[in-house]
Amino acid sequence: MNNLQQKAQQLLESGNYGLIVGYEKGTSGKARPVFIRKAEHASKLIFDESCDQNIAVYLYRQEIKHNKKKVIVANHHTLKSIVELAAENQVFDGDFMVLAFAENGDIIELNTFEEIEKHVATLYHGLTEAEAAMMKKIEDMSLEDRWAFWENEFSKCIKCYACRASCPMCYCPTCTVEINQPQWISVPSHTLGNLEWHVMRAMHLAGRCVTCGQCGKACPLELPIQLLTYKVALDSKQFFDSVAGTSICADNALAIFKPEDHENFIR
Amino acid sequence: METNNTNSFEPKVVAFVCNWCTYAGADLTGTSRIKYATNVKIIRFPCTGRIDFMLLMKAFANGADGIIISGCHPNDCHYTSGNFHARRRWMIFRNLLDFIGVDVNRIVFSWVSAAEGAKWAEVVNESVDQFRQLGPATSYQKLIKNSEFQEVE
Amino acid sequence: MARIGVFICHCGENISATVDCEKVAKVASEFPGVTVSVDYKYMCSDPGQNMVKEAILEHNLTGVVVSACSPRMHEPTFRNACAEAGLNPFLCEMANIREHCSWVHEKSDATTDKAIDIVRTLVEKVKRNEALAPIYVPITKTAVVIGGGVAGIQASLDIADAGHKVVLVEREPSIGGHMSQLSETFPTLDCSQCILTPRMVDVARHPNITLYTYAEIESVDGSIGNFNVKIRLKSKSLDEKLCTGCGACIQKCPVKKIPSEFEQGLGKRTAIYVPFPQAVPNKPVIDRVNCTYYIKGKCKVCEIVCPTKAIRFDQEDSFVEVQAGALLLATGFDVLKTNFFPEYGYGKYEDVIDGLAFERLASASGPTKGEIRRPSDGEIPKKIVFIACAGSRDPAKGIEYCSKICCMYTAKHAMLYKHKVHEGTPYIFYMDIRATGKMYEEFVRRAIEEDEVKYIRGRVSQVYEKNGKLIVRGVDTLLMGQAVEIEADMVVLATAGIASPGSEELAQKLHVSYDKHKFFSEAHPKLKPVETNTAGIYLAGACQSTKDIPETVAAASGAAAKIAGLFSNDLLKRDPLIAVVKKCAPPLYSSCTGCFMCIPVCPYQAIDKEEIKDRSGNIIKTISHINPGLCQGCGTCVAFCKSKSIDILGYNHDQVCAEVEALLNEW
Ligand SMILES: Cc1cc2nc3c(=O)[nH]c(=O)nc-3n(C[C@H](O)[C@H](O)[C@H](O)COP(=O)(O)OP(=O)(O)OC[C@H]3O[C@@H](n4cnc5c(N)ncnc54)[C@H](O)[C@@H]3O)c2cc1C
Ligand code: SF4
Ligand code: SF4
Ligand code: SF4
Ligand code: SF4
Repeated sequence: MNNLQQKAQQLLESGNYGLIVGYEKGTSGKARPVFIRKAEHASKLIFDESCDQNIAVYLYRQEIKHNKKKVIVANHHTLKSIVELAAENQVFDGDFMVLAFAENGDIIELNTFEEIEKHVATLYHGLTEAEAAMMKKIEDMSLEDRWAFWENEFSKCIKCYACRASCPMCYCPTCTVEINQPQWISVPSHTLGNLEWHVMRAMHLAGRCVTCGQCGKACPLELPIQLLTYKVALDSKQFFDSVAGTSICADNALAIFKPEDHENFIR
Repeated sequence: METNNTNSFEPKVVAFVCNWCTYAGADLTGTSRIKYATNVKIIRFPCTGRIDFMLLMKAFANGADGIIISGCHPNDCHYTSGNFHARRRWMIFRNLLDFIGVDVNRIVFSWVSAAEGAKWAEVVNESVDQFRQLGPATSYQKLIKNSEFQEVE
Repeated sequence: MARIGVFICHCGENISATVDCEKVAKVASEFPGVTVSVDYKYMCSDPGQNMVKEAILEHNLTGVVVSACSPRMHEPTFRNACAEAGLNPFLCEMANIREHCSWVHEKSDATTDKAIDIVRTLVEKVKRNEALAPIYVPITKTAVVIGGGVAGIQASLDIADAGHKVVLVEREPSIGGHMSQLSETFPTLDCSQCILTPRMVDVARHPNITLYTYAEIESVDGSIGNFNVKIRLKSKSLDEKLCTGCGACIQKCPVKKIPSEFEQGLGKRTAIYVPFPQAVPNKPVIDRVNCTYYIKGKCKVCEIVCPTKAIRFDQEDSFVEVQAGALLLATGFDVLKTNFFPEYGYGKYEDVIDGLAFERLASASGPTKGEIRRPSDGEIPKKIVFIACAGSRDPAKGIEYCSKICCMYTAKHAMLYKHKVHEGTPYIFYMDIRATGKMYEEFVRRAIEEDEVKYIRGRVSQVYEKNGKLIVRGVDTLLMGQAVEIEADMVVLATAGIASPGSEELAQKLHVSYDKHKFFSEAHPKLKPVETNTAGIYLAGACQSTKDIPETVAAASGAAAKIAGLFSNDLLKRDPLIAVVKKCAPPLYSSCTGCFMCIPVCPYQAIDKEEIKDRSGNIIKTISHINPGLCQGCGTCVAFCKSKSIDILGYNHDQVCAEVEALLNEW
């Protein structure tokens, strides 16, 4: 048994905790989320490079939301999402414990939001090199090529909303796509409606997307839609110095303003 | 204002304006009998802060070739800061549209005060010229056609 | 089914000259939902309005679109007409085909087509309009005035004289503010105490005014019409009901060397004290920081000598709660302190003083009985250098604004000095002389011409001591920047006026906005100078920006008039075009996620939290709530909320979407 498994076993045996949300081995070398309720199942838990899924989304799932004896094993994406969810009043201090990992693999127990916030401050917040390269590739395209690229991508979307379901920040009980009075977004998954859906999704994530890429990973058709929310995340940082998932008390980038906010396009 | 070239394309333009500054400014354009292009039609909002980016999407989806958004100058907002909020929203939105390949020159943002009747006429005329030069929003229209076809199916 | 009436106005020829009104009416009559569509020469005339009314009755209309001039012109006219015919006024909209169409375009088909598009857009909107009723908020006719300087005094008296209750809260032991410290006042040189004291006494006597001194605002909730204000009454260590103000305690108090705040440190006071002889109320408080009993545990001399046994050493702070319909901020200002001017030796040399201290020296009731004697040795100074703009208009030091009162009081000081010390020479270093009030320029001219005050235009770079003299070094910019050096006996700094300490905390408690210098912000710099952004909270006097007495009093009376106006009705009528958080059936109750990201969005702090509870009182969820008393209807939160949980009456999602669609699509 490794450290994590031992720790999990102890926690469950202590009776102070009744549920551990973490990762287990999945198929074809991928990790998948697991919910452990019994000490004897603690050995299922893993934590390695394959555990790149953002599992913060489970914290407020109805089934476990009110369970106050839960523990979550968190990678850096998950940690940032927890901070952002805290800032947005979707998770509450003291409702769960977080197990994070130091560089050397040591387990770090984080019990309060303050501790989580402090720990998150030590993490890297930008895009990975590969992600940055993808962004650059698109930004370097001509306007027509960008349109063609996204038109092609959007045409494939089947509006299964797996992207939405995977994003910890998409917690609205009634998503605007489901509103029919007025019908903001057309129901069928044609390119126009898909474009609208994705523009809306990205706008709604302004100042909130923690650039985990989970939405893109969740898409069965492998649309690189995470790049859209990355775009708003990067702009929020550049224009307003707002980085999601870094502060439990910061106001959203679009909820505040500065008189000296600078743009160059208003006549 | 009539166009010189009768064959030239006439863009459909919708203007989203706030009640207190630009709507009143456009009233002044009228009272001053300053002429501008007929293409632009105004929808009144209490404040630029009320203008949802989704309405811009709606306008494009309904065949707008160009959009004008206009409200009170910074520090002049009737509600003190609605325009500041709007400005942040447009900074993000405009860049996002650009990122997906929408020509952001199809959206003109301006501050027009209740005293700037002449400026409103200028903004309208310059925007319409700009939209004429850009031509019909064909890329969007293709999507619209496509979607109508599918919705009928 | 909608039954809409469309009424196209020719406006004489103002519209019909370029728009084919008959055609517009005809096309509009075919719009879905339109029951009648007619055109007429003057819709706003009596016959025109009657057409609308009759059509409402005849066709039982559910909505009306008057296509005419700007709604900013005649919307109230037509809404009233509709109301008279029994149609809810909010079911009437105007299509602006004059200012936005006929007047800005030549006669052409395109112009007529545009008019048709505009009418169609408004028809689609009005179909989705809802009948609305004005919102009525009950009003508690009591005003809480915070700060008892001349602003608070004037406003309290005005409001009280109008027949309303006033609670005046002052944090010092006496009301009076800075004006009570002044000697004589520009531009008339009348004695400040003489004009102020009677008003202070009026405040204490007025049956409508309750005065709390040595008190501060603890918390404020509620909104316009119905604030709940909690006031902390700091312990005075005194039973005020028993105290007769005889002053025996003050005479016997052994701690006599405390620098008096009122005298700017030039005089002394005891530990049990009234700040100045004319104080209102004229009853002492014990300064617990300096009182021997509180420091050492024994003394109690005052308790022993008090003939009415009014001293209470064990008294604690207490609280009162006041229900109020309006709040008035009148917390005044302060002046920059010593640490700001190391180069002027302020705080280092006893004879470098500020303007307020000079006021005390010049005051007949001050520490020198009105004789100008310098603090260090009590000598009468033969040369005084006054330095204007000490700290003001100095962006490098963070105060870019003009304090506005200093030019005038410095001229006054120089004059008073000259009147009292005939052989003395006053110098004034200044940047510009700003004397823009009534009789102000004349006042300054008098100082220069009659009292021979020597004005030197330039900045002072340094003040230092040499052989018992204060050497003032500066330049005279009118003499091509020539250096000047004056050996002075005393230096008086016109230190910049700054926000009163504690302003920021108070603003946060009240949710009113303030500028970067912590002065409270008015709702509109021109049109709403005595209102704050928060409905029901007003401001007056130097808490907004430094002001002189005439301006302060004008603002105070203005704010009082606003409050009396508010209190002239039992109910406050408000436009119903405000935002609401949408609710729905259980188990969802509302699509609001309780993210509360919208709270900072609102410019009026109208958004707060609401708990949804089940029958037994358990909280099911917490969602946002918009206070209808505070919301002004800008709609910023509506566009912000990502779950579309907020909507705004009159410009709701459904209406504006329909407008966009109708505007761009012909039938
Ligand atoms: C040296 C000098 C000379 C001047 N000479 C003249 C002159 O000759 N003529 C002229 O017209 N003007 C003169 N002025 C200006 C004049 O003093 C002001 O215009 C006037 O005092 C402003 O009145 P106010 O009531 O707004 O503020 P203040 O006089 O500052 O009164 C504010 C009151 O509010 C109280 N307060 C503050 N905070 C709180 C709180 N949180 N809770 C409760 N109470 C609080 C304070 O204790 C104070 O009593 C002079 C000013 C200075 C500095
Ligand atoms: S982008 Fe992918 S995951 Fe999202 S709705 Fe479309 S198909 Fe589904
Ligand atoms: S990358 Fe995608 S899943 Fe992750 S926070 Fe951003 S939008 Fe949500
Ligand atoms: S109204 Fe909207 S923004 Fe406000 S708390 Fe609810 S969901 Fe959040
Ligand atoms: S509509 Fe404007 S004033 Fe009203 S609650 Fe929303 S943001 Fe505040």
